[in-house]
Amino acid sequence: MSAARMTAAAGSAPRRIAAVVVRHWYVTRRSPYRFVDVAVWPVFDMLLYGSIAMYVRQAGGDAATRTALSVVAGIVMWHVMYQSQIAVSASFFEEIYARQLPSLLTTPLRPVEWVAGAALQGLIRVGVGIAAVTVAAAVLFSFDLTDSGGAIVPVMALLLLTGWAVALIVMGVVMFLGSGTETLAFTLLFIVLPLSGAFYPVSVLPEAIRPVSAVLPTTYTFSAARAVATGDPSPWGEIGVAALATAALMVAAFAFATFSLQVFQRRGFVSRYQ
Amino acid sequence: MTGDTVLRIRGLRKRYRQVTAVDGVDVSIAAGERVALVGPNGAGKTTTLMSCLGAVQPDGGTVELLGQRSRRARRSALARVGFASGYLPLPPHLRVLEFLTLYARLYGSTSPREQARAGLRLFDVDGLADRWGGDLSSGQRTMIGVVKATMHAPALLVLDEPTASLDPDVALRVRSRLLDLCRRQGTALLITSHNMVEVERLAQRVIFLAAGRVLVDGPLETIAAQLGQSSLEDVYLRLREATADDEAANAGASS
Repeated sequence: MSAARMTAAAGSAPRRIAAVVVRHWYVTRRSPYRFVDVAVWPVFDMLLYGSIAMYVRQAGGDAATRTALSVVAGIVMWHVMYQSQIAVSASFFEEIYARQLPSLLTTPLRPVEWVAGAALQGLIRVGVGIAAVTVAAAVLFSFDLTDSGGAIVPVMALLLLTGWAVALIVMGVVMFLGSGTETLAFTLLFIVLPLSGAFYPVSVLPEAIRPVSAVLPTTYTFSAARAVATGDPSPWGEIGVAALATAALMVAAFAFATFSLQVFQRRGFVSRYQ
Repeated sequence: MTGDTVLRIRGLRKRYRQVTAVDGVDVSIAAGERVALVGPNGAGKTTTLMSCLGAVQPDGGTVELLGQRSRRARRSALARVGFASGYLPLPPHLRVLEFLTLYARLYGSTSPREQARAGLRLFDVDGLADRWGGDLSSGQRTMIGVVKATMHAPALLVLDEPTASLDPDVALRVRSRLLDLCRRQGTALLITSHNMVEVERLAQRVIFLAAGRVLVDGPLETIAAQLGQSSLEDVYLRLREATADDEAANAGASS
């Protein structure tokens, strides 16, 4: 290669880099939901940790112990929901990335069967995740989950169902809006986390946000979880309310996912995965 | 099933925004009949196939698959339908035998592993059983796709450009096995292809689609003569020319 051509080739590198910048700017500009990661995420992080700080500040003596217990138990409970949600969502994304949707949709497999299969295999992941976080809580903070008594079982079952319901909503959004919205699998739960008071009672949330929190079924589930973890002797009322809220969420999530699948098929989005 | 008809489409219509993909298509396929759906890119072939198989919801018309018209019943009927596309990959984290076993299970096999192995043997690709899906060449992936679509002895086999990425000798072998399988099991075949040699070797009947409409539907032996052409390729080129204006109008509507 001549010196002049080498110089020209070296000089075109910035242009190539600029081309890549423009190419990805197009993607970002045409996918506004990507801004959720960029703009909304830090706001909710602030809300989460700010609320924890407020909760601790309000506490003193025994109450401080109760607060700490609440937070540690919250992490354990949070992971039941997080792992069950991610397990199902990740299976769906795997089908998308492997471009298996056309093949699967042309078999007798019903969508609800796919969800059941993904949820069941996800139990392995949930089991491993819960074991890890429970052992960590025991070793690092001397928090023994078994001290919570038998009521912990229905609470965990409700959180598991809630995770699956959120996964259905994520899948629904991806089918409705198309690929590129997969980051919602992570974002949605981290929006739900501070609003539902996983680590603190929702009464410490800023007043303007409390009405939003009040309509989230997860608020009642985490409230029941906190009651059980902090040794409430009769948490069954809270669990009952949480069960009703979870049932409502499951119905809504199934309805939304079914509607989104119909939209997906009506718009012919399946051809995008061929 | 209505008589011996495995697929009956009436007045199928589908629009994507301003583009008419399928515009009143009527197609019937009898048991054991081999039909090719031919047309240029964007003619509506894949949308027609996907609508038949329930993966795309048409805007209008009816689809009767193995005698079943309702969506729920058609989904059950898919147990007796095979589908493969030359463009579909295999999941990278599954071995070939695992992939085929998965689909054999989805199609309701009680001995899925054996069925998968038999399918591999039928197409002389048993050596691929333990290979990772992501490690196969495009030709090998296509072969495995065809095995997936045929291993459960379907009553209707739907293939979207099945040999598009195969070497000529491998494509010949696939066609020969498909033909043998269709004749032996009485399987009806609905195939899309841009390869007129493939159409001539596999199909008994040819349907030309352009701009979402059926232009010609007739027996392979006579269709060229009917249209005053000497070969199927000439028919394709002539119809392509004749419909170019319609497509331009459609493209204009979408822009």
